[in-house]
Amino acid sequence: MSTQTPQNDLLVLEEIHTFIGQFHILEGVSLRVPKDSITVMLGRNGAGKTTTLKSILGLTPPQQGRVIFDGMEIQGKHAYNIANLGIGYVPEHRAIFRALSVMENLKLAERKKGDFDKHEEFIFNLFPDLKRLYKLPGNHLSGGQQQMLAVARALVPDNKLLLIDEPSEGLAPILIQQMMEAIRILSTTTTILLVEQNFIMASQLAQRFTIIDDGKSPHSGLMSDLVNDTELVHHYLGASIKTRKEMELSHEAEN
Amino acid sequence: MKPKTKKIITLSIVVLVVLVITLLLYKVAGKEPFIRTALSGLTLGSLFFLVAAGLTLIFGLMDVLNFAHGSMFMLGAYMGWQLYTNPTFIFALLPHLLAFATGVMLLPLIKPTLVRMKLPEKWVNAIPKITLVLALLLAVFSFIGFDILAYAKTAMVAASIATAGNPFAEITPQEPFATYWIRPVLIFLSGLLVAIASAKPGNKQEFAVRERLSKTLPVPVIFFILTILALVVRESAPKAVLLMDGNLRFAIAVLVSIIFGFVFGQVVEITLIRPLYVRPTFIIIMTLGLSYVIRELVQLLWDPLAYQMVRPPFAAQPGKAANLLEWFQKGSSTLNIFGVTFPTYRLFVIALGIVMFIFITILMTRSRLGMIIRAGVQDPQMVEALGINVKSIFTLVFALGVAMAALGGIGAGPFLPIQPLMGDQYQTQGLITVVIGGMGSYVGAFVGAMILGMARAFGDYFALKYSLSTAIAEASTVIIMIIVLLARPQGLFGKKE
Repeated sequence: MSTQTPQNDLLVLEEIHTFIGQFHILEGVSLRVPKDSITVMLGRNGAGKTTTLKSILGLTPPQQGRVIFDGMEIQGKHAYNIANLGIGYVPEHRAIFRALSVMENLKLAERKKGDFDKHEEFIFNLFPDLKRLYKLPGNHLSGGQQQMLAVARALVPDNKLLLIDEPSEGLAPILIQQMMEAIRILSTTTTILLVEQNFIMASQLAQRFTIIDDGKSPHSGLMSDLVNDTELVHHYLGASIKTRKEMELSHEAEN
Repeated sequence: MKPKTKKIITLSIVVLVVLVITLLLYKVAGKEPFIRTALSGLTLGSLFFLVAAGLTLIFGLMDVLNFAHGSMFMLGAYMGWQLYTNPTFIFALLPHLLAFATGVMLLPLIKPTLVRMKLPEKWVNAIPKITLVLALLLAVFSFIGFDILAYAKTAMVAASIATAGNPFAEITPQEPFATYWIRPVLIFLSGLLVAIASAKPGNKQEFAVRERLSKTLPVPVIFFILTILALVVRESAPKAVLLMDGNLRFAIAVLVSIIFGFVFGQVVEITLIRPLYVRPTFIIIMTLGLSYVIRELVQLLWDPLAYQMVRPPFAAQPGKAANLLEWFQKGSSTLNIFGVTFPTYRLFVIALGIVMFIFITILMTRSRLGMIIRAGVQDPQMVEALGINVKSIFTLVFALGVAMAALGGIGAGPFLPIQPLMGDQYQTQGLITVVIGGMGSYVGAFVGAMILGMARAFGDYFALKYSLSTAIAEASTVIIMIIVLLARPQGLFGKKE
């Protein structure tokens, strides 16, 4: 992968190495996220996708390598400073605040006073359900509603980049459709870096992909090329690709 | 069973138990002793709450058990009492503290420039250490020859106003300005060096936005002006404070305690606790050690004696008021409540506890800070990812907790002997309160504190009545804790892990 940074890349990772405790989780991950597009990270469970997102945000700061956001090196800075540069984070397992109401969850995400009022209409158009649940505490929401809230929370401040970690995880197929639609609408205004196990969803949404495998990033390129390259898909993602039928089965099993 | 019905059943059982116990105590004790003892219980409960509220908030958010909380309660009492009876001490120290703060407050002004400096790696690591050592040396130099013990031991002026002829003759004279001026200058430089050290010059990991001067300049300028003011009024202020109306002086004493607790809490959190978050057990040992250090320092300054603080005039006039209105008009020392004579100052303490409970409830449910605390209890990392500086929130919550303990200390001042060990009992009871109420729950802290206060008061009453050992009263709180833990291991209002 080239180390130069073209003008239209919002985020560039150059060979980052991250340790968690004594474990060397990322052993040189490089990727780039062009402006105004959706880039997806694909890979098996435990390959290091979530750690990559956390390394970008500074929650698990990388020990080596560079993270360049909007032309500025941000590796090693405090997580709250990085977030305030305009990065929204939707974590896996929808880490919404259970003790706070839906409204409070959204208000908490404000970086300036009035952020929420500014985007209120947009958010409730995207997720009409949330308007109805406005006063409910977070722990009374269903899984799908929590996921919507987690995404909505990242939309409250003005963000240049959204990091979204497995938005379809554990959702019913109809909700997956809704979530996909929401992400597609979002991508018209912001840049998105997505982690997604659901290959069908990923291939329909993203323009670019990066494969993360064993803490490295062996391949990246255009999504349209990957869809036709069945050998590559099966080599790296074999186990994690699910057909629609398998997904429905696993969802029923969960319920 | 639905969680809602389960909640209702638990609640009704609790209400029933409380009613039965109340009736039983009422029957056994009789009307008047019951009211008197219950009010005593509320007084104790109020103080327990002021200690436990800070403990539980700090534990809930940061998993830190502050074993120096009792010492901070005691320090709050000493500081308020000093302002109330011996303001010389505080006014002698004030220019020092403000000058130091002025230096430290320059941090946001100098940080952007210092961080952007290009320095060799060696210097980046060495500069903070060197400057900190220099700062310490300067601070020590600024105190050499400063007779702080004399200021601390100035006779308790206000106490002697009633007896001695001229109380102001007892005030220790302040150092002449010609020799004094160098001290604030030195300690200002020390503060500036601390600011330089914490700005971490040349450190690439730090991040500092250049802000407009209108944003960064006012704070140090205000502190500078305050320093000058404190220098000027050094001589005259203690007399002025002593001549003030007693109630006003008491209000200022309470304010001084709160501010002292808030600042002291911040300093302790930033310098001692923050480096140890990765090693939670060390924090317990550190705070325990800190409590001994504080106690020894207090003994050095004021000797290991017990002092009696005079009650403020609003609860000190001899005579019994028939109702609340009469108390407010006359400032009587006792009040008639349903035929029981009860000291009015203790009613003030009860009110203090209830007001603080309401304040915390509003803070936690209505304010942004409360929202951040409740969110941070569950997931501090995610709060940080939203762009909120969680570290500074930790500092703020710790400072608030200490300020509340200090408020409890000055509140207790006029009816407890002021001595270096006065906080220990309240810390133990505060810890038991937190366990009973549920770790991290302020409602639990309030309910737990009231239960413990009642247990102590009625335990004492029955021990006296049936001439048993008073150890029963002390044991009763532990017994309640054991019962609660057996029935609900997470505490009355605690959440299951």
